[in-house]
Amino acid sequence: MVSQQELVKEARENGMELLPLEKDTYELFFGPQHMATENYSLILKMDGNRVVKAIANPGFLHRGFEKLAEYRPWYTNIALFLRVCVPEPDVPEAIYSMAVDELMGWEVPERAQWIRTTVLEMARVTSYLFWTMGMAFKLGVYTAGQWAAAYRERFMALFEELTGARVYHIYTIPGGVRRDIPGDKWLRQLRDTVEYLKDKLKDFDNVLFENYITFKRLEGIGVMDKKFALEEGVTGPNLRATGVKADVRKLDPYLLYPELDFEVPVLKEGDALARVLVRRFEIEQDLYILEQLLEMGPPSGPYKVDHPALKALPRFKVPAGDAYAHVESSKGDFGAYVVSDGGNKPYRVQLRGPSIAHGIRVIEQLLVGARLADVPVILVSLDNCPPDIDR
Amino acid sequence: MENVKEIEFKVAPEEKVKKKPSFLKPWLGLKYLFKKPVTIKIPYEHTQIAEKYRGFHTLNWKTCIGCNMCGQICPARAIEMTWIEGEKRAHPKIDYGRCTFCQFCVDVCPTGALGHVEHYILTTEWKEEELELFDWVPLPEEKVRKFKDYRHPLAKIEHLEDGKVRYILRDGEAVEFRILGYGLKPPAKPRAEEKKESGEEKKTE
Repeated sequence: MVSQQELVKEARENGMELLPLEKDTYELFFGPQHMATENYSLILKMDGNRVVKAIANPGFLHRGFEKLAEYRPWYTNIALFLRVCVPEPDVPEAIYSMAVDELMGWEVPERAQWIRTTVLEMARVTSYLFWTMGMAFKLGVYTAGQWAAAYRERFMALFEELTGARVYHIYTIPGGVRRDIPGDKWLRQLRDTVEYLKDKLKDFDNVLFENYITFKRLEGIGVMDKKFALEEGVTGPNLRATGVKADVRKLDPYLLYPELDFEVPVLKEGDALARVLVRRFEIEQDLYILEQLLEMGPPSGPYKVDHPALKALPRFKVPAGDAYAHVESSKGDFGAYVVSDGGNKPYRVQLRGPSIAHGIRVIEQLLVGARLADVPVILVSLDNCPPDIDR
Repeated sequence: MENVKEIEFKVAPEEKVKKKPSFLKPWLGLKYLFKKPVTIKIPYEHTQIAEKYRGFHTLNWKTCIGCNMCGQICPARAIEMTWIEGEKRAHPKIDYGRCTFCQFCVDVCPTGALGHVEHYILTTEWKEEELELFDWVPLPEEKVRKFKDYRHPLAKIEHLEDGKVRYILRDGEAVEFRILGYGLKPPAKPRAEEKKESGEEKKTE
């Protein structure tokens, strides 16, 4: 019979930690096979129906993107980075491209800027619709969830027409975009889709966002403090729900955002309901931005930079230096820091994902004292992206 | 944190963002019971595939110059240069087990020999010989585009003696060639023959 101390010692020698057993609590492995967690897992210490302690257990999707990027040519990395956040793959593409543009000293053509802004906004709407589906399913309002999935499909079809793929677009590249807009027909389709979804938002309100069940379930759970959120580096809708005015599109404008007019929703409560309502208002504003962009119309001109280096992509070289670019994604502030030593591969690429801020420490704090039934709801109301945490 | 200067921007008024709970409104969703569903019945109905959907590759064997640009840009390293008897330059062989369909290889091709069609269906019946189909030297566009059902054009790959390969298309047409070797450098034996041939040509010139 081995004594407890010996076991603890042996575990520590092998780089593991043994947690002491308590009589009153039991341990519950929540995910990754649970529907709400998506490739992410939590170890919950439960006392009856209440969570005493939550331990985040990520790492199921670790692929070492940043290291892999150091072994691949500059352009090839686009096909790699978009896998960091699957619901909105255009964001990692765009930030990497913007950083490389800065290093090259390229002024991206106006038409490419218009297309990039439109694609980023479309990605935001698509991602919010995907999140609406998840949130509605966790609340048990399956009807609204299925509508969200169906309307997302319309945007997917538009992406397919524009980029040639449904999910992994591989569209934004350093120096512009890969393809031109297919024609006026596509713009008409986008306008129709935006108007259609604007009309359908009322139905979403009726069934999901103004439903009294939603209010009963979400009010007062998972409350995040303003100070705590700022200390942990939470960004995006989660921070705005705690009463902080922060949006990268306003604070550090990029692409065409200085010319666009839109409102930023801010709520003070910081609970799951506030996070949900902030996101609901964001969908409305994104559709409004898309309408403005369509009214502006794509400027004529080339859709990518004309440069001799683009003729031989495997030998494409970037001058030595470093650059940082960030955008406001549907989950928060998404940034990329790119360092070049003048070779045909990046020296180092560091991604700053929004999910790592609210996906590990914050969720561990918010879950303390919550009921087991509220765990998936709090988790989804934070909208974290497991591949972004693991990377 | 107090020293940080706040940038003023337009914030939505709180009453616009906030909603009021309602007991009756959710029942309005019932009207969707009488509407047409958005789902379709596969295989009786089809979705429309976009014109330039990134699907299977095509290769014009006459214009391919074997520069290996496609092999260098490929993020998944799915492309292997293949030496075929009768062809002066190597041609790419694409492994769809690795391919990510990013189509950077099509973008970099200097002569436009490598292209793509919108056909995309990769499913098989899980037979060994079927899995082999997806590691192929792409055929010219007209041979791939013959089939309108978005499936892979090959029905079978036969391995004959001394490195000969026969690609049998789904309508029975056969393409036969001999693979001499793989890699960037031409295989040893035919290299000598090629040298002789080129030498003779120079003499005649």
